[in-house]
Amino acid sequence: MESAFTYTESELVQGLKAKDQKVFGYLYDRYSPALYGVAMKVLNEESNAGDVLQEVFLKIWRNIDRYDESKGRLFTWMLNITRNTAIDTLRSKAHKMDQKIQVIGDDVHLYTTNLTVHPSVDHLGLSKVLEKLTKEQRVIIDLAYYKGCTQEEISKVLEIPLGTVKTRMRNAIIQLRNLLKI
Amino acid sequence: MGASRYISSGLIEAYVSRLATPQEAQELEIAINQYPEVATAVEDCRLGMEHYIMLQSVTPPTVVKQNLIRIIADEEAGKLTGEEAEETQIIEDTPGRKLYVSSSWRWAAVAAILLLLGSLLLNYIYSARYSDYQVRYDALLTSNNTLASEQNVYRTRMEQLEHSLDIVKDPSMQTVKMPGTKSFPSSLATVYWNKASKEVFLMANNLPQPAAGKQYQLWAIVAGKPMDMGVFDISTDTAAILQKMKSVDNADMFAITLENKGGSPAPTMDQMYVAGKPS
Repeated sequence: MESAFTYTESELVQGLKAKDQKVFGYLYDRYSPALYGVAMKVLNEESNAGDVLQEVFLKIWRNIDRYDESKGRLFTWMLNITRNTAIDTLRSKAHKMDQKIQVIGDDVHLYTTNLTVHPSVDHLGLSKVLEKLTKEQRVIIDLAYYKGCTQEEISKVLEIPLGTVKTRMRNAIIQLRNLLKI
Repeated sequence: MGASRYISSGLIEAYVSRLATPQEAQELEIAINQYPEVATAVEDCRLGMEHYIMLQSVTPPTVVKQNLIRIIADEEAGKLTGEEAEETQIIEDTPGRKLYVSSSWRWAAVAAILLLLGSLLLNYIYSARYSDYQVRYDALLTSNNTLASEQNVYRTRMEQLEHSLDIVKDPSMQTVKMPGTKSFPSSLATVYWNKASKEVFLMANNLPQPAAGKQYQLWAIVAGKPMDMGVFDISTDTAAILQKMKSVDNADMFAITLENKGGSPAPTMDQMYVAGKPS
């Protein structure tokens, strides 16, 4: 499925805007594992994550004209669409707060076992990063990014004062960036 | 807030991890446009977050790509024949903070509101009815209590009457009728005298209510001398009931006089209301 040649991001955007189906195929091959990973992390369920991924790529295809390169990278835009679509699906299934927590609780053990990791991704890199992050740091990032929890919700779930939620997130991200050397 | 303050505030980390509130995000977006170093710091942080996200990539099922290829090929073919592809709305804002509700939930909300309104109306109607029933219930309760207490009164009275009847039924009981004297012709009283047990009971059939400080006294005339048999009251409740008096072995005559309260040692003859001899 991998395309034989590569495009730059602006070439990709131009191709998509020109409704080039070959460029779309390339876009899918290159980004679908990352986007599917987001949908899986949000929903924790393969069938729904597959539906979300399909919806996400249709949105990208149909709405590429709304993408503004001056406002950010294509990948960031696609991630936003994916995260939002997946979280909407999660909420529309009437998942309640406590179920969200349940999901993230189980999730912690799924990082290195359940998921088939895309070959292009350094699997060892992931486990190394996750090992160096405390469970607390992983959970706070995942609750905010993958489950869409507010500061109030996180404060309640982790039983920490509202004022320390942002501080703890900052430390988690700093630790993450140190590990990734970014 | 200056650029360096943004960088150390934790707001940037909150923004890229999507933890920031809409207000915080808006504030930072203004700062991004204002300070290039804030924009750089946000982008660096975002790259870190995106790297973390990419580390968690999962290969999707191949059927998704097959479906997509088919759908967009159909769409493009449709466009060529003049059909408009359905436009899909992108929700780019943070979903949790935007109120996004699916149509089934909207209908559920409408139904819930209608149910609520209906329930409020019924509440109003039933609460009015309830207070009406409450009043009626209280009235019934009161009248029931009244009936119950009246019933108790009647039962007590009936028990007293039964007791009186038992006394009268005794075969050794002798009835001594005492008609009114000349001064009080309409008066009437009866003595029930048990010859065997020597007990004496009195029934005041018709005696006027005595004045305050006065009381009736029963006398037995034994061998020509009056003998005190005790005083008694006339109560409307017990008027028809036998009152137990002192016992006497033998008597030639019984009489009732009106005396000062507590009784007198000797009868006041002009206040004799009734008198009668045993047959």
